[in-house]
Amino acid sequence: MSDQTAGRLPVADRAAMFQAIKRLVLDDKAAFAGVVALYAAAAGAGAALPVMLGKVIDGIGGGWTASRVDLVCGVIVALVLVQLVLMRTGRRLGYRLGERAAARLRESFIDRVLRLPLGTVERAGTGDLATRTSGDVGAVAELLRKTGPEVAVSSIEAVVLVAAAFVVSPLLGVLFLVGVPTLILTSRRYLRLASPVFLSERAAMSEIAETLTASAAGAQTVAAYRMQTERGDAGYARASTHMERLRGIVRLQTWFFPSVDLTFLLPAVFVTVVGSLWYLEGWVTVGQVVAVAMLTLRLDGPVFRTTMALSEFQMGGAAMARVEGVHLMPDEVRDAVPDGAEVRLDDVTFGYGDGPDVLHRLSLHPKKGERLVVVGPSGAGKSTIARLVAGIDRPRSGSVTLGGVPVADVPLETVRRKVILVTQEHYVFTATLRENLNLAAPEAGDAALLDALATVDARWVADLPAGLDTMLGEEHHGLNLAEAQQLALARVILADPDVVILDEATAGIDPGSAGNVEASLAAALHGRTVIAIAHQLQAAESADRIAVVQEGRIAEEGTHAELLAAGGVYAALWTAWKGVAA
Amino acid sequence: MKPSPLRPPPPSDIPADPWRYLLFVARSHTGLVALGFIGLSVSGTAWVLLPWAIAKVVDEVIAAQSAEPLLRWSIVLVLVAIASSWVFIAGYRALFLAESHARVRTVRNLTDHLNLAGTGVRGAVSPGEMVNLSTEDAHKTGSFIFQLGFGWMGVVMLGVGTGMLWNIAPALGGVILGGVLFIGFVVGPVLSRLQHHQIAYRASVATLTGQASDVVGGLRVLRGVGGEDQFSRRYRTASADLRDAGYGVARADSWVQGLRTSLPLALMAAITWVAARLAIAGEISVGELSAAFGMTALVAQHSGAMIGMAQAVIAAQVASRRLTAFFGTRSDIADTGTGRGAEGALRDPESALELEPGRLTVIVSAEAKPAEAAVERLARYRESGAEWGGTRLDALALDEVRERVLLLRDDYLFAQSLGETLRVDEAKALAAIEAACAADVHSSLGGNLDGEVTNGGRNLSGGQRQRLRLARALAADAEVLLAVEPTSAVDAHTENLIASRIGAARKGRTTAVVTASPLWLARADAVAWMVDGKVRAAGSHAELSKHAEYRSLTSRQESR
Repeated sequence: MSDQTAGRLPVADRAAMFQAIKRLVLDDKAAFAGVVALYAAAAGAGAALPVMLGKVIDGIGGGWTASRVDLVCGVIVALVLVQLVLMRTGRRLGYRLGERAAARLRESFIDRVLRLPLGTVERAGTGDLATRTSGDVGAVAELLRKTGPEVAVSSIEAVVLVAAAFVVSPLLGVLFLVGVPTLILTSRRYLRLASPVFLSERAAMSEIAETLTASAAGAQTVAAYRMQTERGDAGYARASTHMERLRGIVRLQTWFFPSVDLTFLLPAVFVTVVGSLWYLEGWVTVGQVVAVAMLTLRLDGPVFRTTMALSEFQMGGAAMARVEGVHLMPDEVRDAVPDGAEVRLDDVTFGYGDGPDVLHRLSLHPKKGERLVVVGPSGAGKSTIARLVAGIDRPRSGSVTLGGVPVADVPLETVRRKVILVTQEHYVFTATLRENLNLAAPEAGDAALLDALATVDARWVADLPAGLDTMLGEEHHGLNLAEAQQLALARVILADPDVVILDEATAGIDPGSAGNVEASLAAALHGRTVIAIAHQLQAAESADRIAVVQEGRIAEEGTHAELLAAGGVYAALWTAWKGVAA
Repeated sequence: MKPSPLRPPPPSDIPADPWRYLLFVARSHTGLVALGFIGLSVSGTAWVLLPWAIAKVVDEVIAAQSAEPLLRWSIVLVLVAIASSWVFIAGYRALFLAESHARVRTVRNLTDHLNLAGTGVRGAVSPGEMVNLSTEDAHKTGSFIFQLGFGWMGVVMLGVGTGMLWNIAPALGGVILGGVLFIGFVVGPVLSRLQHHQIAYRASVATLTGQASDVVGGLRVLRGVGGEDQFSRRYRTASADLRDAGYGVARADSWVQGLRTSLPLALMAAITWVAARLAIAGEISVGELSAAFGMTALVAQHSGAMIGMAQAVIAAQVASRRLTAFFGTRSDIADTGTGRGAEGALRDPESALELEPGRLTVIVSAEAKPAEAAVERLARYRESGAEWGGTRLDALALDEVRERVLLLRDDYLFAQSLGETLRVDEAKALAAIEAACAADVHSSLGGNLDGEVTNGGRNLSGGQRQRLRLARALAADAEVLLAVEPTSAVDAHTENLIASRIGAARKGRTTAVVTASPLWLARADAVAWMVDGKVRAAGSHAELSKHAEYRSLTSRQESR
């Protein structure tokens, strides 16, 4: 069903995609059938025009009166009006159908994303998911609401034109089809070649955007290191690549467009020439020849629009496969029920993916209500401990338990009432300040929110134009690193879990206020188990206990005084930290 | 450091007027444009002649009641068919290439302008805008000439069709000309109404995509803290809004699509009626009746191109206006100074910060921003009255300042190899990596200098990026190095190593570091303590430590 190599997010195969499309149609099948019927009827009314022209021509030869001609022409005008009403209604319903399908698709996509196991997403890299969300969902929606109806209208029209030719004269109808073999051959070749050509052109365009955006974002760096020449060369090189890719597109179109033209030029010539000979034989009338010849001229539009849309269809299909892929990811089974909120790591070995072990048989038992500080050099495995305790990853061997059961087996909704992890990677949602805080405690009132903000020393809140209703995020009111971290800490206070893991959670706060924030946070979290992870030591001294991690093992454990007296790793770190020359 | 001569100044002949810019990029390949217009004119004529050739076959065969004239007219028919298709693709190809060249031209202009305006583009253009300028806007300005060509083809077809039908019967020529112009004037206004809806729709799409990206970006927070239901509800609401906006577009767009197919049909019906009356009166032949029908079908079908052209030209002008506005940005740092060879202390009067030559000065400030602003002034990334040994910085040549004074903060890392990033030969690069404790960057990129860094250093961790920037700054070996929090993301052990290695590597050169870390302070030759953007006191770390406030900032013991 899926391609799940190398921890990537799965992509739906043809069968799964076909299922998805079928589901989208079946969910709305009455409307779908109605739209197809309307398109066919409108195309029929349109195709009737050349047919009626043929009748008029034969009628003139057959001695019709002027009033008979007026009557038939009146019918033609009426047909046009009917066509307009049918087409307009069909188009409108078709768009609505596409809009509804697109809405269903994207809503179920987001719902699924919101329930994805975090570990899986992070192993695949959030970039993949972000591309699916921002690019692919939109591409599929566009396919459903625009390209889909367009192709439906055009292909139904082409079929109706062929049918009309056969209705006029089955003999001439056969001639009408002489262009079909070339159409099939050339479109197959085109479809095989087009997607990579168009995709590579798009890629070249993104590279231009990326290079120039980098030059603009790094304007000061360019000035500082006098990189003007190399940035200029990079921009020019990207432009040249794009030119090459555009040439590739036009090369493709140079043979493809004339080949598509053959689809109607061949029958136009055949119907006219062979039809005239058959007329002389008395097999067909002049009116029939003219009617079918004019039908061939009408074929140009729908055939061209359909074939042009085919490559869009292909690309839309690829996007759809990626969107549907998220539904193929297996759910984690998490049904353990913890008893209490005691955290224990016993004999834990862990490594990421197929990588080497990061933690080696590590054991750590934070006591209830204790403030445990984990210190050690970068890369020692401190953050890995945090992820394990939060239940994001599972150990390779040994156990990480919460309330006596493996924390990775506890449903996330339960885990986060008991354990919250705050990392240095903080995220501000494009939403109001209130919404950003309410994530953690949906029912908390304004007073509680403001209290939590005051606790983390977020004085900037007072300067916000609309207080808690201020929209945050890059386009509205951007927060700096320190403010974003304070926001994340305020959420923890609101959520009020039993265990808080702070992974470098105050690293970006100004030195002047970091102390205050930590002090007030400590007061707010009094009685909670706090596991604070730091590569700097400011938090260590007042901790109940310090664990020093080195190379994936606990090197030392004890209070500040004990460890200093022991004269080991911590004592050396502390000496360095205090700035006494090493 | 190898000299990096500036590219010759970019063409300053880029017009400031949007319309003139459109012509400016189109003119870069006049030959292709001319070829395109000629090709489309010829093929437009051939298209209209196609039904005429069909009608000729019919008429001649009926008149002669023999196959004898058939061969001659069949050859004409085939030739017209070939011309319509093959000459069209030649013209299309020429215009497509002209458009492509115009797009490339705009991208080059943007590249050159980024260098010309330098730091002047900071804040003048957001990343999103830059993406639009270099892709969408470049495309639209380029397609100006392409669309104009297709509009022209529509005009040629209308002209030829009107002429041919006028010859058959003036009434027919009148109907086709009036009809096509009528279609243009009826469909045009409806289209503009539709555009209104589409602008609102696009805004809704952007909002929704933004919300979805928000969910993915903050997924870790949502999964860790909660709020999935809140975000799911919010997304569903926005999604429903978009669907409803889509219904609004459907209401208007369905009229346009309906009219687009029906109006040509209506015109065909009208011409059939008029021509049939003429035929029954014996004024025209049945072949001419079918020619009138066929020509009208083709001309009316292509009248859409004229409407499309009008829209595309307006869009091109809007895009061109954005581009010329960007080309109007100027450097924010004047390059009018000519002085060279300044010596002595760097002094910033605004903050009273002073850096003695050849010493390591640590700048301690409770708030990072004012200290950063002060070193920005000293490196001349802001205009100010800062001086170097009594000479105002703005009286010195800018390239002299850039060469001798280097400011290091969250600098950008470009997509380059590690070696290219460091900009020095291998021995010096490895020395810089060593001094910045960036050996792990080196090994994570494959253990050689050819390892590729991606834009923004996204394939490195935050700590690795910081140390790579530091290595680059050390490799540049500038006379004066001003660094803002260069070691905020490293652990104490590493910070200690970096501080001691930089102290040794830059011995005798002027170095200033904005930080409150005791590891740096222990090595400082001088310390400047800033409060509210002003130097309150300067001296050695030991001297300043007498102030309780300073002590609480720099001594980790009392930080809690």
